[in-house]
Amino acid sequence: MVETGHFALVLAFALALVQTVVPVFGARTGNHKMMAVGAPAALTGFALTALSFVALATAYAGSDFSVESVWENSHSLQPLIYKITGTWGNHEGSMLLWVLILTFFGALVAVFGGNLPATLRANVLAVQGAIGATFFLFILTTSNPFVRLNPAPIEGRDLNPILQDLGLAIHPPLLYLGYVGFSICFSFSVAALIEGRIDASWARWVRPWTLVAWMFLTGGIAMGSYWAYYELGWGGFWFWDPVENASFMPWLAGTALLHSAIVMEKRSALKIWTLLLAILTFSLSLLGTFLVRSGVLTSVHAFATDPTRGVFILCILTLFIGGSLALFALRASRLTAGGLFHPISREGALVLNNLFLTTATATVLVGTLYPLVVEALSADKISVGAPFFNLTFGPLMVPLLVVVPFGPLLAWKRGDIFAIAQRLMAAFAAALLAVLVTALFIDGASVFAALGVGLAFWLICGALTDLAVKSGFGTVAPATMLRRFAGLPRSVFGTALAHLGLGLTTLGIVGTLCFGTEKILSMHAGETVELSGHKLRFEGLYPAQGPNYSEDRGRFALLGADGSVAGEITSAKRSYPVRQMTTTESGIRTIGFSQLYLSLGDEGSDGSVVVRLWWKPLVTLIWGGGLVMMAGAAMSLLDRRLRVGAPARRKPAGALPSASPQ
Amino acid sequence: MTRKQKRLSVIAAGLGFLGVATGLTFYALGQKASYFYMPADLATASLQPGQRIRLGGLVEKGTVERGHGATVAFSVTDNQKDVKVTYTGILPDLFREGQGVITEGSFGPDGIFVADSVLAKHDETYMPKEVADGLKAKGVWQESKSD
Amino acid sequence: MLFWVIAAILTLGASLAVLLPLAGGSKNASAAGDHDLEVYRDQLAELDRDMARGLIQPMEAEEARAEIARRILRLSNAGQAGETATQPSRSTRLVATAAVLVVPLVSWGLYGQLGSPDLPSQPLSERLAKNPADSSVDELIARAEAHLAANPSDGRGWDVLAPVYLRMQRYADAVTAYRNAIRLDGDSAARQAGLGEAIANAAGGIVSAEAQAAFEAALNLDPANPKAAFYLAMGMAQEGRIAEATAAWQKMLAALPQGSPWRGAVEQALAESAARSVASGAPAKGPSAEDIDAASSRSPQDRQAMISTMVARLDEKLRQNPRDEEGWMQLVRSYAVLGKTDQARDALNRGIAVFGADSDQARKFTAFAASLGVTATE
Repeated sequence: MVETGHFALVLAFALALVQTVVPVFGARTGNHKMMAVGAPAALTGFALTALSFVALATAYAGSDFSVESVWENSHSLQPLIYKITGTWGNHEGSMLLWVLILTFFGALVAVFGGNLPATLRANVLAVQGAIGATFFLFILTTSNPFVRLNPAPIEGRDLNPILQDLGLAIHPPLLYLGYVGFSICFSFSVAALIEGRIDASWARWVRPWTLVAWMFLTGGIAMGSYWAYYELGWGGFWFWDPVENASFMPWLAGTALLHSAIVMEKRSALKIWTLLLAILTFSLSLLGTFLVRSGVLTSVHAFATDPTRGVFILCILTLFIGGSLALFALRASRLTAGGLFHPISREGALVLNNLFLTTATATVLVGTLYPLVVEALSADKISVGAPFFNLTFGPLMVPLLVVVPFGPLLAWKRGDIFAIAQRLMAAFAAALLAVLVTALFIDGASVFAALGVGLAFWLICGALTDLAVKSGFGTVAPATMLRRFAGLPRSVFGTALAHLGLGLTTLGIVGTLCFGTEKILSMHAGETVELSGHKLRFEGLYPAQGPNYSEDRGRFALLGADGSVAGEITSAKRSYPVRQMTTTESGIRTIGFSQLYLSLGDEGSDGSVVVRLWWKPLVTLIWGGGLVMMAGAAMSLLDRRLRVGAPARRKPAGALPSASPQ
Repeated sequence: MTRKQKRLSVIAAGLGFLGVATGLTFYALGQKASYFYMPADLATASLQPGQRIRLGGLVEKGTVERGHGATVAFSVTDNQKDVKVTYTGILPDLFREGQGVITEGSFGPDGIFVADSVLAKHDETYMPKEVADGLKAKGVWQESKSD
Repeated sequence: MLFWVIAAILTLGASLAVLLPLAGGSKNASAAGDHDLEVYRDQLAELDRDMARGLIQPMEAEEARAEIARRILRLSNAGQAGETATQPSRSTRLVATAAVLVVPLVSWGLYGQLGSPDLPSQPLSERLAKNPADSSVDELIARAEAHLAANPSDGRGWDVLAPVYLRMQRYADAVTAYRNAIRLDGDSAARQAGLGEAIANAAGGIVSAEAQAAFEAALNLDPANPKAAFYLAMGMAQEGRIAEATAAWQKMLAALPQGSPWRGAVEQALAESAARSVASGAPAKGPSAEDIDAASSRSPQDRQAMISTMVARLDEKLRQNPRDEEGWMQLVRSYAVLGKTDQARDALNRGIAVFGADSDQARKFTAFAASLGVTATE
């Protein structure tokens, strides 16, 4: 089984080579047979990669220590779920997951690409094949998960305890679906550059793929943030760590792409810019992979690294980013520019959005890479952390968030800013009220905090206003309004939900940063502590035994107003003997949208324990907002406009196109 | 305004925006980037009082003192010089004597480094890259090829 | 064998994925323009829907419709210059042939380099389920460990595993196993003696107080337990009570039955202690000339081992009782004689450190070491 998986991986590589060369050759010579090779090659490649992945997962599930990566990252006593998730809890396995998702997207293009012009489809599949072939080669030569050990050791070295968590089951697959999803947009762009023209169907295709990738990337980042929050025990939800930035940059660029693709689809404008953004977004995904894998940057949470891999990935980066940008430089002038528009218009708003988002991406990129540059130019070592990003990223985001509610309300081509300002009066009033209430009634609220809360409410109410205005609130009878509301295109709901989610996330961030409290103290059993009106009693440390760890569990009773026990929170220090590592399991209790968070520190010689506890108001909204954004993207994907049928010439002219080929 | 003038003004506004953003970025880099030092580098470094830096090295064996409460004191050494560090909070799980560590904070008036964050990576074979490079440059540490 | 069949089938499947489209009939593919037209038509339909919902004003709708119409017009102008399917040229045929060949050639070639086709999968459960007679010792231990992880209160299991650990030199595990066996199945002389041996070996052969307690417990249960008696005597010897140790060993030798495996060990220990007692007199000494002479009658390995043991013992002694001027000089000389210059220098430095760098002793050490060609560092 293991060797079957290995062979399937090698075979998938060979097939990817064919998929790279033959369809593009066919497209150049106009040979339809050759172009037709792309789809079955992509489907078979996906099947082989899936087989390979299943073989590896089986080896992990069955603790087959004759496979080196299993031996290094698994233990027979681990619970089955962590044995399976351990498959991608290491460099080799996660790269296999990466190409699995890449070939999966390639297969999707093969299946649903029937409505694309044949040459475009062939070129797209060829570019996908090229990315696949490169990464297959990377895996086979520098990080082969199927390297065997003979004789096989009898026990493994255990999965890194920090990864023995359900977060590992969800976070990397979501993140990779996002990262790799943008490869489709990249392939479409490069295909368009190869052909030297952008079809109208090109724009229609790029947008749903961007939506899919963006949706998963949003989920992956939100999940990763929550995982780091509860697993690391530091109580922070974002550290501006290089690895986090690596996933955040494609998200920012992808968000810009999502918006510029609308302009291109609706108005055939911003074509060249959209194409460039698609290339940049995937390039940033690749750069992220490089930063995480090569170890050039120090990060708090990353896989063990190996310099030879870094060199290989650097070559991949140069090949794809350099190659595609060179192609862009050569061919972009051939592409025709699209429609014109007034600065105050939907298009104008989207351009403004793009300007802010790409600048923000650039600042994050500079902050992430600056230490590398400084180190290369001088011997100095510096680190760029949260203070830098707060100073640059913050000022860029605030004006962007302020203008967000205007965008969806503006008309295409030429908008009326005053009419829209009038429509947004209610939202503005709500935001103003939120500012006043915060400033007057919450103790210790700074001006910034009040304005932050106002901004969040402005976004939330702005999104709701968009829906209200579009369903004709106040201008038509309630019954008509309801009918119109139900009949709104799904993409309108999608936009509103995504902007609403943004507002919720903002509210969560402002709440946690401005109104959160924390305490560090050392406690003896029986002592009580109070934080922001919540009273906790430390009940003591109790030893407990897990399947492959032992732990000291600190139990805390949450006391009600009358002193009765209203609940229990436990935080633990776990010790994993195989790797001789300890981890801290934080104790979290969710109260409304807020959380009480505590983590245990070291035990003192007198039997006391250092306890750090936080009150994090509205913190769950940070990730809840992310989920709402995902829901918005999913809603947009369901819009019928994105499902254009293939040309069917036998139908009488003028007939509506059939729905989708799905 | 003619169409051309309009377009030019839009482009000028965009460039102005980018200029402001670039200026802000480099101002922030100058202000907020913190330099990395090993204890032996501090003699030659000219630090302003209160300047934030990162201090890296090994946690010297036998120097970790847990005072009352949550404050911990320890020495960071590069086997040439050592610096006393205090930190209030919970140390990372992988903080161990003799292991690499990076602390971030600033020097107090008494010459004790007051750290507000302590990093030790979540990996048992971890040696922070800056620390490893620094120790190698000083010739006091060879990379053990254990894997 | 099965693997090769599967590999062949997979290769065939992958090759067909390339071959079939190339060999298949030429499909009448639609021109790119048709696809664009489809999109524009859909945009028009959407415009109508939006207008029906009142999402856009009639004015805007009219403008948008005109724009789309212009695009359709442009398309029909450009669409006339469509491409014509060419006859397959020579280069086309070459590429097609190469593509079909690449799949089997690259995959089998590369796999031949990377793969281990003869190595079967070895899931742990399968390895543990096979006939114990075929298993390696490691596998048997793993099986016992798995069993004990599931039933940690099986005292007999621990009892069986403990001596195995001891033999495998996994001393720390042996200590745990013996402790568990004692806790669950009660005391016995063999277990206590085994525990003592494990503790002593875990500490590199030094009979610590903890080990000593275990051996004494074993002797309480069975006064004739040879292992316990032997190690207790060894402990005395390590403390320098050589006469007592010798007496204990001699007593053992008298009591041990003929053919006991312990006789050899006791005799050897006696020989060593005799060699040491010849050299005794000073509180601690390195190997004297006589010792080395005595040792020279032995085999070279034995001799080396004996000398090293004695030097190590002296070294250990000085760690515990460092204010021994004579001892340090002995140690430095011993290391110097053995050619272990680094250790000699280290011993010198330690000796100097004990008395202080400015002390008379330190000066004496330095002079003495210099005569041997050893200099202190720094």
